[in-house]
Amino acid sequence: MRSAALAVLALLAGSALGFAQKPASSPSIPRGADGKPDFSGIWQSLSGADYGLEPHLATKDGPPGAGVVEGGVIPYQAAALEQRAKNFAARATADPRTKCFTLGTPRGIYNSEPFQIFQRPRDLTLLYEFGHPVRTINTNGTEHPDGHIDFWLGDSRGHWEGDTLVVDVTDFNGETWLDRVGNFNSDELHLVERWSFIDRNTIRYRATFEDPKVYTRPWSIEVLLYRRLEPNVQIIENYCSTLDYDKYYPVPSTK
Amino acid sequence: MRNRLQLVVLLGALAMASAVASAQNLRGWRESSFVPTAKGEWTGQRLPDGQPDVAGHWSNTVGNHNNLTDPQGPLGADDEAPPQNGGQNARRVKPRNERAPSRISDPPDGQIPFQPWARAKQQEFLKYLNNPILPEYVEPFARCAPGGPSKSFMWHGYEIRQFPGSVVFLFDSGNRVIYLDGRPHLPSNLKLWNGDSRGHWEGNTLVVDTTNNNSKARLGRSGEFVSENATIAERFIFDASGDRFTYDATYTDSTVLTRPFTITIPNRRVTDKTPADDWNNLTFPAKHAGNQPIIEAYERVCAEGNGNHGQVVVGSK
Repeated sequence: MRSAALAVLALLAGSALGFAQKPASSPSIPRGADGKPDFSGIWQSLSGADYGLEPHLATKDGPPGAGVVEGGVIPYQAAALEQRAKNFAARATADPRTKCFTLGTPRGIYNSEPFQIFQRPRDLTLLYEFGHPVRTINTNGTEHPDGHIDFWLGDSRGHWEGDTLVVDVTDFNGETWLDRVGNFNSDELHLVERWSFIDRNTIRYRATFEDPKVYTRPWSIEVLLYRRLEPNVQIIENYCSTLDYDKYYPVPSTK
Repeated sequence: MRNRLQLVVLLGALAMASAVASAQNLRGWRESSFVPTAKGEWTGQRLPDGQPDVAGHWSNTVGNHNNLTDPQGPLGADDEAPPQNGGQNARRVKPRNERAPSRISDPPDGQIPFQPWARAKQQEFLKYLNNPILPEYVEPFARCAPGGPSKSFMWHGYEIRQFPGSVVFLFDSGNRVIYLDGRPHLPSNLKLWNGDSRGHWEGNTLVVDTTNNNSKARLGRSGEFVSENATIAERFIFDASGDRFTYDATYTDSTVLTRPFTITIPNRRVTDKTPADDWNNLTFPAKHAGNQPIIEAYERVCAEGNGNHGQVVVGSK
């Protein structure tokens, strides 16, 4: 009798201890019918990463930020560092964002506008507000296509490691920037993303960069993505590239 | 040519040229007549949330956006001119009664019931289509603008993805979400290229109410248009076989029209058996270890690759 009671006590204590030690495993997170975490929803970064991945002070065109790069510094090769400086000097017109070009990966994730995830067991559909393009993360066991292909958003193939979605991204076109201050990659970028829930309304997003043309070693960023909870939130198409000419349609005003 | 995607992008940028070239490659796909799918019960596959399963790759079967009311016919005087330079400039077209009917299924005359001023404007757009001496004469699709609710179905093959609460269309130029969850429309002053769509299923038919249209996309290169006061009642009527659906869109717009009209477009599923033609079928076999065929389409990004097809006019403003 006594040993049984002790066993129950030990069990209770154990479960209480377990709860205290591993809170991340206990909060309920959304899951699909396949049991995988379900990232469906509208998400947005508040990291300010788009204003500069590295720690930076305020400029006239951007607020300060503590940065999202692990270790604080992107390990550029010497020539790439010179290119970054040129990019920075010309950023007002050279940033692809100012031309309404597709922001690319991972910039589409942490730029200042939201994006929506639609999820099926076979794939995730990411619909970005800025430019309104779609990126597909395939989770159906398919591989990158043969040959290098110049994609704006890269080619994304994901798999699950427990509750973490790990995405391998290749086939970039090298024409996108990583932020508004000129950080960049080449077409040889190899990006590995890790998506996981902190709680049902917060995603931890990590990305590791390898690019033999631009960096001296792999490096990583981490940002949090917050679920947009306003009752009327909706991704509203922002076909930015049409804004210069849309005044001519449907019929020009005669006023 | 570094890869096949660049070919796809090139086709998008050279819309007019591809209209000529593709007509020669699509004999197996294009049809000059069709039987509209009847509205009724859905007897095919369903998704776990109860929606009819219509996900996958699709394309229309009668032609591109060149000519709204004569989908397989010529467009204006340029297209009907005698061939020059060895026959490169003009298409050989069949007699009218052997070509697909007008996409305008109502009224019966196959024409948009324009008010007189609007008909004159449409004729003006058509007259200057290939000689756009004013910015407004540049057909916005040539600048990689979205095609709008109906014309998106007159262009390259596209994909339907379904989720609990929404149906998502991935077009060659632009993307569109139809919400099924009963949420209210966006504020009416927000006018959008692809409008704001709310839908529900009635048997085999996805019924969609599309408002907030900026109507900046023309309805064809032939110059037809509506105003930003237009509302669109769309019906996507799916055959239970899963191979076909008929798209009906009834436009109401007292600013431009004398009465409502309906656009009807037949569509067919693209599968791994569909011949590759770089037009209707923009899919590729996915690389994977399994035996079952998986097809996928690559990213569709247009504006960035379209350097001088309409931006010349923008630059001269």
